[in-house]
Amino acid sequence: ETWNMPTPYPDTNFHTININDFAKEIAAKTNNQLDIKVHSAGSLFKHPEISKAVRSGQVPIGEFFMSLANNEMPVFGLDALPFLATNYDEAKKLWDAQKPVAEALLDQQGMMLLYSVAWPPQGLYTKKEIKTVDDLKGLKFRSYNATLEKFASAVGAAPTQVEAPDIAQAFSTGRVEAMITSPSTGVDSKAWDFLDYYTDIQAWIPKNIVVVNKSAFRKLDKATQEAILAAAASAEQRGWELSKAENTKQVQVLKDNGIKVISPSPELMSSLKAVGATMLEDWKKTTGTDGEKILKAYQ
Amino acid sequence: MRAFLDRLYRLSGGLAALFIVAITLLVFAQVLLNLVDRLAKLFTGTALGLTIPSYSDFTGFFLAAASFLALAYTLQAGEHIRINLITSRLPARLQTLFEISSVAIALALTLYMSGYMFLMVKEAWQYHDMSSGVIAMPLWIPQSSLVLGLAVLALALFDNLVLLIQGKPARYTRTDNDPLAQRGGE
Amino acid sequence: MNELYLTLLLLVVLLAFLSSGLWVAFSLLAVGWVAMALFTDAPVGQILATTLWGSSNSWALASLPLFIWMGEILFRSKMSEDLFTGLSPWLNKLPGRLLHVNILGCGLFAAVSGSSAATAMTVGKLTIPELAKRNYPEQMAIGTLAGSATLGLLIPPSIILIVYGVATEQSIARLFIAGVLPGILLLTLMAGFVIIWSLFHAQQIPAETEQYNFTEKLKRSQRLIPVFLLIIGVIGSIYAGIASPTDSAAVGVVLALVIAWSSGSLSKEHFIAGLMGATKTSCMIAFILVGSAFLTMSMGFTGIPKLIAEWIGTLQLSTYTLLTALALFFIILGCFLDGISVVVLTTSVLMPVVTQAGIDILWFGIFLVILVEMAQITPPVGFNLFVLQALTGRNIWIITKAALPFFMVMLLALLLIVIFPSIVTFLPNQM
Ligand code: NA
Ligand code: NA
Repeated sequence: ETWNMPTPYPDTNFHTININDFAKEIAAKTNNQLDIKVHSAGSLFKHPEISKAVRSGQVPIGEFFMSLANNEMPVFGLDALPFLATNYDEAKKLWDAQKPVAEALLDQQGMMLLYSVAWPPQGLYTKKEIKTVDDLKGLKFRSYNATLEKFASAVGAAPTQVEAPDIAQAFSTGRVEAMITSPSTGVDSKAWDFLDYYTDIQAWIPKNIVVVNKSAFRKLDKATQEAILAAAASAEQRGWELSKAENTKQVQVLKDNGIKVISPSPELMSSLKAVGATMLEDWKKTTGTDGEKILKAYQ
Repeated sequence: MRAFLDRLYRLSGGLAALFIVAITLLVFAQVLLNLVDRLAKLFTGTALGLTIPSYSDFTGFFLAAASFLALAYTLQAGEHIRINLITSRLPARLQTLFEISSVAIALALTLYMSGYMFLMVKEAWQYHDMSSGVIAMPLWIPQSSLVLGLAVLALALFDNLVLLIQGKPARYTRTDNDPLAQRGGE
Repeated sequence: MNELYLTLLLLVVLLAFLSSGLWVAFSLLAVGWVAMALFTDAPVGQILATTLWGSSNSWALASLPLFIWMGEILFRSKMSEDLFTGLSPWLNKLPGRLLHVNILGCGLFAAVSGSSAATAMTVGKLTIPELAKRNYPEQMAIGTLAGSATLGLLIPPSIILIVYGVATEQSIARLFIAGVLPGILLLTLMAGFVIIWSLFHAQQIPAETEQYNFTEKLKRSQRLIPVFLLIIGVIGSIYAGIASPTDSAAVGVVLALVIAWSSGSLSKEHFIAGLMGATKTSCMIAFILVGSAFLTMSMGFTGIPKLIAEWIGTLQLSTYTLLTALALFFIILGCFLDGISVVVLTTSVLMPVVTQAGIDILWFGIFLVILVEMAQITPPVGFNLFVLQALTGRNIWIITKAALPFFMVMLLALLLIVIFPSIVTFLPNQM
């Protein structure tokens, strides 16, 4: 059998590399009985459509950025909340707490969670050096969802909407002056062409998840199902290691291309974490008991 | 009936045009706010952060609405592109036959698309699908414009099919005085 | 070789639908459906619905109706007339004289409009009757317009570059900048061709009748001011950091309305006619784009593109052989499909091959757009041919013949950017 698998990121992205290995492992374990064809870079379904395509069985399997579903299910947006989990150990712990709730929500939509892999910690990209939180005041800050918009306003920055293909142009012409994203994305967009500073604030560690359509999964024989689950387990483990290695590697690439990589001052970090704490309180209000359950398990 | 149908296509087309005006206003307003921000930055050193929340999402929704709501109106104006080079050289009776088969295929496809689009909207409504931007917009609302546009197109195609079967000329072969309209035909 | 027969079968089905007179958008949707229903077990209807929605709600594409609307407004204003009056005194000494108004006018209009049909229509509406009145050779009047109007696609802003940028995730701003030098190159080559032709056919170019002194020339040039204001407004909004290239289309519409209003040519009738014209044209293009998106999706499910890409990959063609093969492929495809469909249909198929061959994706975008420009003037389906047919009342074969030399000029430009890729990459590399 052949399964088409849409994914949002290009072939060179470490998530996609990991997924290609995942597909190979399944092929090997099932003696090519299940062939997963990976359609990278949104070439089959565009990113916002992927989860819906898996849900309704248009494709049996897919990958997407978890917090993209934040507006539908705020539980999925928890890992994009600033300064809740800021290193891999905390991110793993948060995921362990998030997982049962996420699984239950996916189950209601006819999907089953296979595995999740974290992005490298998100850092702050700017043209000028940021020493204290006051340096962010009045800077045009790229925000593409409600969480980032709130964050920008809370630190006194001016939220600005810039679409992904337009980032370089927007920075060059001054339409935007600061953004928070991973070192991988910074390298992909050649941030050194238009930016000078990367402050390693490790604001949050978002995740991608790989999901499978429940009824497509049920139709497989027991051995194939087990092969998928085993491959998923090893993909998750491999993915998190890849992510850590990716972080070190891409920060170095940023440095090599002349971006000044700065460790944030304690003063900056304490102000940012205070903002994070306020935002967490707001978040709790939107999710009710589910949110409390996760946070209790996490803290 | 004739008058009602023609008015319906025009109404749908007019609605589409309003969405194009809305795109212009929305995007231009954001550009003006950017300008104010730019000037504020220049004179006071800090930007204000004037944004129309999710303006790019709404621009996309308006474009989808404009494109689909205009389908029937554009059809009737003869602006949808087709190649008549071969069929136009055939004897009149064969031409009519090809004309009927084209309209029938188009109608079948449009009904098919309307049906599945309706199911998609229903699913988006059941699962409370939302846009992912700053403003959480229930997706079934903008998606409904596609169902509506396709339904009107289906009606227009059916309308023409009936005319052709009755041996009358299809309405979309009319050409008006706008020379740009010639581009659609051949 | 099952896939080869499959591909051929689908091609035959597409040609059959197209030549039976089925609308282009429906033909694409129908072939997509046939391919998916017959050769995959995917749920076609649901996937079609997802594609309709996913490909039609796009912020980046929203500039398309806006640029078309801007062209419609200008077409009904006095601006095109101003353009001719302002430019003509300066061209009297050049061999070919007023024929260059077509080329220059198209070059200027191309800088404010994203589409070649709008460029041909707007410039031609004024120059064709004017050139005929002055007894310029009809064949050259038609040819220069047919050829140079295609620059609407290459000189920024450009609808087709936005489509390509979205499909290949390239920066639209960099693509726009990359189009500037090749656009100027094409303008120069076309003007050069007119000069050479006129030297050989001097007796066919009417003698100059009106003489202008320098003050008169300057006075007449004042009429070009609105054109320049519009260009500065649209391009300036991008570089002042207040608008993305997509947003700048809205600036263009508003400025065009202001210019039309201040010249007293913005009546209620003109406003509505322009808006409805833009609504129809952009609906027609969007529908074809949606059809192409579904055919592309269907190709993704059948796996044919990957196989073709792998097949071309195994041929181990040298870069130049590959480019020649691709150019031929696009010229043939361009005879049957409009430019935007060609780009949307083929980019996803060919990008892996192009990338694998080490070809710069940005450069390839410009290469592709020049080929698409050529497709505008090849029969049986060529947008500019249709526009000129409407403008002149001549049949499509006469127009095609008149446009042929300019097709060859574009081929030469294509060759030049292959030999000197920096014509494309120089400006974006300065960003
Ligand atoms: Na242009
Ligand atoms: Na053509």
